Amino acid sequence: MKILVTVKEVAEAEDDFEIDGLDIDERYLEYDLNEWDDYAVEEAVTIAEDGDDVEVVSVTIGPERAEETVRMALAKGVDRAIRVWDDDLESADMLDVGTKADILAAVVEEEDPDLVFSGVQANDDGFGATGVALAEVVDMEWGAVVNDLDLDAEGGVAHVHRELEGGVEELTDIELPAVLTIQTGINEPRYASLRGIRQAQRKPLDVQGLGDLGLDASVLESAVSRTAMFEPESESDVTVFEGGAEEEAGQLADLLRDKGVVEG
Amino acid sequence: MQLTAEQEAIRNVVREFAVEEIQPVAEECDANEEFPEEVWDGLAELDLTGLTVPEEYGGFDADPVTYAVVNEAVAYGTLAVATALSVHCLATSCIAEFGDEAQKERWLPEMVSGRPVGAFCLSEPGAGSNPAQMTTTAERVSGPAGDEYVIDGDKQWITNGRRAGVYIVFAKTAPGEITQFVVPGDVDGLSVGEPEEKLGLRASDTTSLTFDDVRIPAENRLTPEGEGLSSALSILTGGRIGIAAQSVGLAQDALDRAVDYAQEREQFDGPIADIQSIRHKLADMHTNTQASRLLVHDAARQKAEGTDGFPTAASMAKYTASETAMDVTNEAVQIHGGYGYTREFDVERLYRDAKILTIYEGTSQIQKTIIARSLLD
Repeated sequence: MKILVTVKEVAEAEDDFEIDGLDIDERYLEYDLNEWDDYAVEEAVTIAEDGDDVEVVSVTIGPERAEETVRMALAKGVDRAIRVWDDDLESADMLDVGTKADILAAVVEEEDPDLVFSGVQANDDGFGATGVALAEVVDMEWGAVVNDLDLDAEGGVAHVHRELEGGVEELTDIELPAVLTIQTGINEPRYASLRGIRQAQRKPLDVQGLGDLGLDASVLESAVSRTAMFEPESESDVTVFEGGAEEEAGQLADLLRDKGVVEG
Repeated sequence: MQLTAEQEAIRNVVREFAVEEIQPVAEECDANEEFPEEVWDGLAELDLTGLTVPEEYGGFDADPVTYAVVNEAVAYGTLAVATALSVHCLATSCIAEFGDEAQKERWLPEMVSGRPVGAFCLSEPGAGSNPAQMTTTAERVSGPAGDEYVIDGDKQWITNGRRAGVYIVFAKTAPGEITQFVVPGDVDGLSVGEPEEKLGLRASDTTSLTFDDVRIPAENRLTPEGEGLSSALSILTGGRIGIAAQSVGLAQDALDRAVDYAQEREQFDGPIADIQSIRHKLADMHTNTQASRLLVHDAARQKAEGTDGFPTAASMAKYTASETAMDVTNEAVQIHGGYGYTREFDVERLYRDAKILTIYEGTSQIQKTIIARSLLD
């Protein structure tokens, strides 16, 4: 069995930052593995540890800088990694969902996995659609926002829990091959061990360009373009209580009553 | 100094573990004088309890720079855990370096998994900076079960004293002849004293030990008779890099908290970080912490290369880094003002913890004695 996990290195802004043109100023960004993808990696690695002959491959679309993040996934137990990047990708303004789905689809064609795990969303650009769009392109079944997975590898079925609004849970059976988008909380992601880190330095990390995947720069064409980025004006409403503990408690009670939080 | 990709990744993971898993429990463990055993199990899962164990026994066999990087990162979580880990590593190092094949097979794979915990028993009530003054004896006798050693005496300041399941013990086999042994925790005649009530490092399990007619098989002798002290000193010289690195981690923790606080705390119509006297304090703290880190990495590299200057480099690193930790935590409290003097803020604990760094594994005065010797004798 083979599981392909899409992993993304995401940019996180410091508490105080400035916007430069259409993006947050590079000086204020730090890079890390997308939180949702961390859970997707853990889910795949756990299945590999519990099963026989399961290979876990990760795929990333990203520059060389992303290799630090990819190596961390390898350290946690991913067997080998693919990183897609070239000059055309480097010069693209933005990669929209369609572009990412097409690139990942080319990798899926090449790897022919039984399962693809993708984080529900990325915590930088937050499109929240890559996994499902990928399923559409490669014509696989899919399940979104999975928070519990019971895999029947022999039967070729994933018993999938999905959390619906209003505290309702749904259990769905999805035939493989399938794409599942993984929700945070499905498991408890591990820390990489020191031995894992050492092994990760020697695991294969294959870099492929669009041409290697049978694609060309036309895949980068997009009907979506970012037109502005700004911080919305925020209205803050702060009430400072002053006095002794008893007075402050009284003021808080009055406020809660005024706002309708408590009655009476 | 550039770290390798592997060292960089290890630093990041252990630092993340320290921030996510150790820092949140540090205050409570200090208040209750309790060692966080679940954190220890986490260290084992990260392979840290086998840090200095050869790979053939399941260990990680870290190079000295990696060892320093890990010690700094764990101490960034809390010093009590870092101290417990480095003492465990001293014990595994002694068994790995001096034990025969049977002893290594018996102890190391289990110690890599985190249990039994190791302890290192050199100091005595009357033998601190001068270990040669020790009075614990090990007498060789022939018994029904073959040759044995009978150990009698008291040991003091034993980190992991209660937690440990295996003790590296130094004792005199003849006047002036110190020898090293490995003693299982469950032997008859070994009793653990009450926990010491300490200024800082309160989550660390520090006790005395009493050996009263403790009998161990002759095979548990690690070094030839009379070679125990020189071997201990060589292991302790390497251990100084660990303590120096821990000093850097503790100083960095205090510095980061002081920087955050200085930007939040407002006086005279603005954050105190705008006031030059505060800015200069932070500049000194940052510079001295980084200078200490570079001395630690230099000593670690010299150890890796086996240079003649390594013992002096280790002493310079330990002396500078531990005194820097004292200075930096002192200033961190000062920047916090009255709040820094209360238990509500972590710098109060860091200030108390830092003092031990200038005392154990060779006081600052002993380090200066070693450094001066290399210059003059």
